[in-house]
Amino acid sequence: MQSGVAKLPHLFQPGRFGRFEIKNRIKYGACCVSNYNARNGFITEREIARMRVIARTGCGIITNQGAYPDPLGEGKAYFRQIAIFDDKFLPQFERIAADIKAQGAMPIQQILHAGRYGGIDLGYCVQPSDVPQTLPHFRPPKVMTRDEIRDCVRQHADAARRAIRAGFDGTEVTSFMGYLLANFNSRFTNQRTDEYGGSIGNRGRFMRELIDGIKQATPDNPLVVRLNGAELMDRWGGNTEDECFELMQQAVDVGIDMISVTVGWQEAPESSIGRDIPPGYWNYLSARAKKMFPQTLVTFGNRLPDPRMADDCLRDGVFDYWEVCRPLLADPDLIHKAAEDRLDEVRRCIGSLNCLSRLFRDLPYTCTMNPALGHEVEPEYQVTPAAVKKKVMVIGAGPAGMECAITAAKRGHDVTVFDKADRIGGNLYAYAINDLARPDDLLSVISHYEAVSRKLGIAVRLNTEVHAKFMRSVLHQYDVCVIAAGATLDRARYAHVKGAERMLDGLDVAHGRSKAGRRVVIVGGGKLGLTLGESLRKHQEAEVTVVESGKRIAGDVKPSFKWRHASWVEELGITCLTSSALVEVSADGVKVRNAKGEETFVPADTVVQADGAAPAHALFHEFEWMIDELHGAGDALIPRGLEQAIQEGFRLGVRL
Amino acid sequence: MTPITAYAVPDRRSTADGTVDRLPSPEAWIAAAAHHGELFAQLDPGVRIALLARAAPTQMLVWEAGKSSVGARLEPFAGYGASAADIVLAADDEALQEVRSAVTRRLFEVLRDGIRSGHIVCYMLKRRCVLEERGLDEMLDALGFAFMGACR
Repeated sequence: MQSGVAKLPHLFQPGRFGRFEIKNRIKYGACCVSNYNARNGFITEREIARMRVIARTGCGIITNQGAYPDPLGEGKAYFRQIAIFDDKFLPQFERIAADIKAQGAMPIQQILHAGRYGGIDLGYCVQPSDVPQTLPHFRPPKVMTRDEIRDCVRQHADAARRAIRAGFDGTEVTSFMGYLLANFNSRFTNQRTDEYGGSIGNRGRFMRELIDGIKQATPDNPLVVRLNGAELMDRWGGNTEDECFELMQQAVDVGIDMISVTVGWQEAPESSIGRDIPPGYWNYLSARAKKMFPQTLVTFGNRLPDPRMADDCLRDGVFDYWEVCRPLLADPDLIHKAAEDRLDEVRRCIGSLNCLSRLFRDLPYTCTMNPALGHEVEPEYQVTPAAVKKKVMVIGAGPAGMECAITAAKRGHDVTVFDKADRIGGNLYAYAINDLARPDDLLSVISHYEAVSRKLGIAVRLNTEVHAKFMRSVLHQYDVCVIAAGATLDRARYAHVKGAERMLDGLDVAHGRSKAGRRVVIVGGGKLGLTLGESLRKHQEAEVTVVESGKRIAGDVKPSFKWRHASWVEELGITCLTSSALVEVSADGVKVRNAKGEETFVPADTVVQADGAAPAHALFHEFEWMIDELHGAGDALIPRGLEQAIQEGFRLGVRL
Repeated sequence: MTPITAYAVPDRRSTADGTVDRLPSPEAWIAAAAHHGELFAQLDPGVRIALLARAAPTQMLVWEAGKSSVGARLEPFAGYGASAADIVLAADDEALQEVRSAVTRRLFEVLRDGIRSGHIVCYMLKRRCVLEERGLDEMLDALGFAFMGACR
């Protein structure tokens, strides 16, 4: 027995699902459509390559991403979503199912009719009632007739039959995130007055007919239904948690084989899986389902990224199967590392929701933590042994540098990382220690780099600044130099402002190298300024004013996290002066000018510059004639963020 | 640029279900638009923003941008599609009470808080890009839409 298996005995315990033996208690959840496929619904080679990776994750059950079941595409929510309304699509499904089975896992096909989020190519969406969306991708609702409801049930049953013919062992329907099934179940979107609306019994009728239709079509194969334990829409008139569980009861009553407990709608005014939600936060919903339905299998995994926590939940009877998706996108080897007791090497899903941010802009999803995701079919993204082994020096132990160093070392290069700081992490560390969401998530990136660099034998020389003199001292000792020194703040940006020399450097304050007082003005309302301001307000009770030259704050923040900063700013009482320019800094505060030309004095004992991130271009010029190969990655090239740093570090590492 | 001036405002009539009593008066709504002129200044003629009572959605109070003015009037509500509105704000009674008491200075703060807390549902009846083209960029910002929800 592998050492990790002994430590996680419940997770690696075999199970059953219907007539199928399952090798462990882990279900890969089809939590996202990848957008890797063709516009006409066909599965692409890119998708098949990704699913080859997923098939080899070690999960006992693997759910293939949601396919829309209707020929019109009323159920199609995503730009490149796959279809299963016709046999012509089956050859690719067959390849995926066969590959999953060949790895000893049970393949499940999800059928996804998106309801009010559907009809992406049609200009309308179908719904039980005329209730418009609150999202920016509005399509006018078309109310389903009884005949259309019957057709829809038949299309789902046909799709399920087709999936089983393609080699899948079971199917899944989903109401997660406000799709069609949820639209019928919810009071918010179902305002019908016929037998499909009104009472909870009537609202659940569509679900019961759907389950019944699919079970009749595929009697020998189990069916999963994804149902919200909490919609998070109750304040808008959606279902309460109690009603959600009544609907689960209805599913159980008509013989559902497994309930996947989920949380939230796309439109919900609060987060369900973001970085601000503590891991394990929603476990109570699954525990309630398991208690209510002891004879029905329950699977769950919302914001539960850690196999150790999942093992505890299985031990405590919170669920029967751990449903996991994003953590396996971040690290497809997660289960193997758990089994081999190598969890310190795991790349954790940090909940940045880069995947969803891209998906909702019709882009293929990618992962902040896993640069290879979506590029599995491309040899240029494979970590292969280097043809020529080189001595590589990497300047900067931030994410770009460490990613590059680790990738290069895996390929056989001899790598040394230099950093002037006394720890690994670069500016990510500064963000992590000031982060109000989950510092642990960001710090996990750093601890991952520490663990893996140690295991790969990468030399890390801290407290070592690399400058021209240093480079001369190591002349001809290295073949490659990678500049990944990160960004600094351009102090010259405010050279024209009287008293600008009084300003502290925002990165120095964020790192703890400079200390802010009790009344702070932060110049720059981007992610650094906001993160710092929120932290100073919360942890030091400082009075904070943010001065931002743009019209809005959070301009450089990922779309999925802008709202979080906006909420914190309001909750913490941070004043934001937008469209405002810095005029003068004095010992008592700052003078700012707004778009109308009006000047205001803001009293402060500390003024912090938190904008004007500048790359490390000077180093490229300085070192150009000192080394054979000179490369750059991350903020040292163009200041952006964690995702780009990791992606560029990796891409450079695989081709050195 | 759309100056804020009143145009024909229909008589205010009570309905049996008290819908009209729940909503602010058109006069107050015009005053509110005038007070927040910067949010209405860029609206294309024909842009309509409706407010209705969720508990009794039979009447709606509509801001409508004209060529040279923004007006407000009560109209029957016959469904979202039939409302010809760009945005519909559907507020519960608690939120409407706050809206009525804050029709000028704090109005958009109250609306934004109501949307965030769930007391007001902000239905978008056009795609965001269309709304922005029609001059609603600042309005959406004031309603807090740019910062709503994890998936936006």
